[in-house]
Amino acid sequence: MTDELQLISAAKAGSADAFADLVRSYRLRLLRFLLTRCASYADAEDALQDTLIAAYRYIHSYDPRWRFSTWIYRIAIRNAQKIRSESVVEFGDLSDEESDPMLLCINASETNNLWVSARRVLNDDVFAATWLRYAEDMSISDIAKALDRSDSWTKVNLLRARKALDIEMNKENNGSETYG
Amino acid sequence: MDKLAEKLKADAAAIDVHISDDLDRRIAASLQGVEPERPSQASPRSRPALFWWASSLSGVAAALAVIAIINSQSQTVEPPVAVAETSPVNEILTPVIDWKTESAMLTQPLQRELEDLRSDIKKAEEKVKQDIGL
Repeated sequence: MTDELQLISAAKAGSADAFADLVRSYRLRLLRFLLTRCASYADAEDALQDTLIAAYRYIHSYDPRWRFSTWIYRIAIRNAQKIRSESVVEFGDLSDEESDPMLLCINASETNNLWVSARRVLNDDVFAATWLRYAEDMSISDIAKALDRSDSWTKVNLLRARKALDIEMNKENNGSETYG
Repeated sequence: MDKLAEKLKADAAAIDVHISDDLDRRIAASLQGVEPERPSQASPRSRPALFWWASSLSGVAAALAVIAIINSQSQTVEPPVAVAETSPVNEILTPVIDWKTESAMLTQPLQRELEDLRSDIKKAEEKVKQDIGL
């Protein structure tokens, strides 16, 4: 954590190398998350690049009371939303196996990846909250900050997402009803 | 960790991504080309909460002071003046003011302007008459 703070202060002073070191461990995790939000692998890569540039440009606005991961995920979520709003491809089209970048990155043996079902049954914000909770082990308050939502909204929706995903996990036959 | 949480964590890790050399180079080049914004370039910081409390309190104190002063002035009763004691105005000695001078001063520039316009019209008429040979 101390190393992270040192890298942050070096990045604030204008060291691009320090910033590159700082975000090195986040790049894969961010790309994986962005891949679930974008229409193509190239879009996810662009979103990652934009996220890192924005984070470096506005590094002075980073408040050390936040976890760095929360702050950078917040930027990533905004960038993903921006790219998706600019893209013509609708969210529903992502279920097409031939073009869905997330499905292309899942091993063929992993037949029942729950995140595929999660994306179908949860809305955007609830999906992001669920990802941050279970893939990133973030706390409720950090998720609320990253999504710019209240703690109570986050708690309630995570609980509902859990129930929906429990059903998905236990039943092969998935419903088409979208939650949220 | 419960079964669902384990499954979600494992499934997230099963999404196989990698940072290509090309993307790595792009990111590095982008970062080298970007300057972090300085705090002075950012939006101004909001004033501390203490500032607003202090200004509110001083405002309230000023309002109370004004109310107190107005009330104290309205409560001072002036002693009644006896009608018989008032000195009669000596109408013969009061000077008469000539009020006409002020109204003349106000309309003077307009009248001068009107005269100038009339003379201009007269000159123009004469010139036209000369031109047409009358």
